[in-house]
Amino acid sequence: MHFSDFGFIALILALGFAIYTGCSAVVGARRNSRLVLASAKRGVLVVAFFLVLSSAALIVSFLSHDFGVSYVAQHSSLAMPWYFTTAAFYGGQEGSLLYWALMLGIFSAIFALTAKRTVPVLVPYVIATLMAIQTFLLIVLVTVSNPFARLPVAPPDGVGLNPLLMDPGMLVHPPMLLMGYMSFSIPFAFAVAALITGKLDSEWLRSIRRWTLAAWTIQTTGLILGAWWAYHVLGWGGYWGWDPVENAALLPWLTSTAFLHSTMVQERRGMLKVWNLVLVVASFTLAIFGTFEVRSGIISSVHSFAYSDIGIYFLVFLVIVIVFSTLLFLYRLPKLRPEQEFDSPISREGIFLLNNLLLVGIAFATLWGTIFPLISAALRQQTMTVGPPFYNAVNGPIFLVLLLAMGIGPLLAWRRTSLRTVWHNLGVPALAAAACAAILPLAGVRDIWANIAFAVCTFTAGAIFYELWRGMRVRHRHGEAYPQALIMLIRRYRQRYGGYIVHLGLVMLAVGVIGSHFFQVQQDATLKAGQEMHIAGYSLKFYGNIGETYPGTTSVKSILQVWQGDQYEGFIYPGRVFYQNFGNQPASIIAITTFGLTDVYVFLADWNGASEAMIRVFINPLTPLVWYGGAVMLLGGIVCWWPERRKRSVIKLSEMAGAVAQGERAVATAKQATKPTGRDDEEIVV
Amino acid sequence: MKQRRPLLIGLAAVAIVGAIWMALFLRNPPQQTLDQRVHTIGEQLKCPVCQSESVADSSSALAQQMRGIIRQQLQEGWSDQEVIAYFQARYGEQIVWSPPWQGFSLLAWLVPIGLLLGGAVLIFFILRDWRTLSPEEGERAYKAELAHVDEAELAAYRALLEEELAEEDPIFAQPASGTEES
Repeated sequence: MHFSDFGFIALILALGFAIYTGCSAVVGARRNSRLVLASAKRGVLVVAFFLVLSSAALIVSFLSHDFGVSYVAQHSSLAMPWYFTTAAFYGGQEGSLLYWALMLGIFSAIFALTAKRTVPVLVPYVIATLMAIQTFLLIVLVTVSNPFARLPVAPPDGVGLNPLLMDPGMLVHPPMLLMGYMSFSIPFAFAVAALITGKLDSEWLRSIRRWTLAAWTIQTTGLILGAWWAYHVLGWGGYWGWDPVENAALLPWLTSTAFLHSTMVQERRGMLKVWNLVLVVASFTLAIFGTFEVRSGIISSVHSFAYSDIGIYFLVFLVIVIVFSTLLFLYRLPKLRPEQEFDSPISREGIFLLNNLLLVGIAFATLWGTIFPLISAALRQQTMTVGPPFYNAVNGPIFLVLLLAMGIGPLLAWRRTSLRTVWHNLGVPALAAAACAAILPLAGVRDIWANIAFAVCTFTAGAIFYELWRGMRVRHRHGEAYPQALIMLIRRYRQRYGGYIVHLGLVMLAVGVIGSHFFQVQQDATLKAGQEMHIAGYSLKFYGNIGETYPGTTSVKSILQVWQGDQYEGFIYPGRVFYQNFGNQPASIIAITTFGLTDVYVFLADWNGASEAMIRVFINPLTPLVWYGGAVMLLGGIVCWWPERRKRSVIKLSEMAGAVAQGERAVATAKQATKPTGRDDEEIVV
Repeated sequence: MKQRRPLLIGLAAVAIVGAIWMALFLRNPPQQTLDQRVHTIGEQLKCPVCQSESVADSSSALAQQMRGIIRQQLQEGWSDQEVIAYFQARYGEQIVWSPPWQGFSLLAWLVPIGLLLGGAVLIFFILRDWRTLSPEEGERAYKAELAHVDEAELAAYRALLEEELAEEDPIFAQPASGTEES
């Protein structure tokens, strides 16, 4: 009996309990039986428990180097340090699927434990949907993609991990991104539950938005870490290449961003209900599509390390999800009516619609570019490629308009805004943008698109700061010092100011992207010992190569001295590492030195003995802003998400809510008096 | 007069920016160096032996060779299009990274752009549909709604709201309760 056998048994038990839990949740809801429902809630915890057990078994197999387990033998070796050995858990397909199931189990358990905060009617259906997804994953894990499958004869040593994955980024990026993919299933489950029960009230909206916000924050972190990993490992000087896998991760992020914005319209005005549900379902579907695309290997990519035939399972699952959601929509559609009318296109609702159009437009263009080679191959039998120039040309301008809308939106009022107020609010940022557009060309920024883009960034950042300043000023007048006023503002109106922080992070990121896209300088050089090269004000002097040998790896490093102008800045050691069993694909050690906001990125392309090296040097201006912006976005996401403290005035608030409801009823009767028709299904709407 | 002023400032700003840009970009458009031109062309071409890397970015031997050829051809006075056409003739259509603006691959460009424009039109119609009430009608309907609500009742709600707001936010409240809150 091995630990892996325990793991497999735990998987089967988890599968059994997942099926039981899903069924009992539905039965409990239909029969309205409290006991059965309580049993379903505990079932969720049991499934999570067995998945934790199973994952622990896999980790123990890895750490005890049990190469009798095929997965362990293929993804680890004796020479690997313990942290990479542990991370190899999600380094291949079987393990990453198990990691998915584990995350879904944990998220479901968190949901079950906090279910009291949600509308009780929804809980069983959310649980049932989650368990249906879980059942699918566990069936795949138990049948075709079993991480615990054993080899007839255990090899003395394992193959080891792909060299590209032997990087600190591996410890954080894949788990974050996989968790992000999976976390879209909770909003999806909420959407399904709402469609089944017809209960889409404000409580539902609050819950689904919090879960989506959590998913969005995780996915943002995953994407940024992915870009960072690519920047540090791949050696082409960039961080985002519109690679199919990167696109697949971006798609659900885009649709969920659209959702987070359009729910505000639903919250304030009761409009766009169907659209919001579509966005939630689309986010989940796109996450599954991404997995299908990556796993099936139908599209080649730099990020995928595991191809197999489980793609077809995901395709079938994808079809089931789409058909099921469409049927639910058709069933519920007649009862989803907007509660209020639209007043004016120049209002915050209007700009949210524009925001949604642009985000979904980017998502569609990206999806279309990703699958177009497949369409072309199917219809014309001609392979073709769609690469960065296409995405930059199509998505670049849309992003720019989006950035502009991001500056205008928060300054518009709900319902309608007069042009005078618009000018009053936008005047200062617009002047700042004009100043930027006038000064930058004089300062030597000679690209017209870069200028426009920087001006838009200035405008949006200016609008955000102006808004912050106005809020602070109001509080300052009431006797708070400015820093305190800022903190109080953020604490009081977390969603609003958290949103501004996210926007600010995005502007920083955009500036970084613009800088590195338009102003990257690159130079190749072949240097003999003692020679130097000059690039964009920096000098590199080559001293020679050194070789090092460790158990399992050998490496070559070049010794270079960096000078900025006349100032000596230190030594750098770009190099290559050869891993045992992966001799023909060395991993790169890229030397990145950051001077202020400029990266000097040195990649060792080739070498000849101890005294000659071919290096590629990139000067990447403003690139560090991408990472800083990402960190700010993460911070903003957490601020938005952070739970409100339960206040002592809750009772009073609820009393007031009752009073307001009375008032609304009065208004509703008044409306019915003026408009006698079309209000007969009010009870579902509210 | 007061309302005109921002408009004039705006116009002046646009004029200044326009003049600077005219002088800098249109009179003497920025010249690319040979290195930059090689890089720009290299970015349009997919490295045939790599996985999603461009000729400009890849460090493979073939990409280095191709960069050399591009440099040579540019020095001989070829135009950017001619260089790209040369590689396309040798390696097939899939070496060009953005689908060409012709034939079937035109769809790659037109479908997203068309859908985006279609979406914009759709939103326009949705907005028009939703705006069933013109401003005057809306005003009338609003008054009609209010006519049925007792004025005294409304005043009571307003007072309640004020009170709640004051309690919510320390800047409206008494200093004592404010410190307790934070």
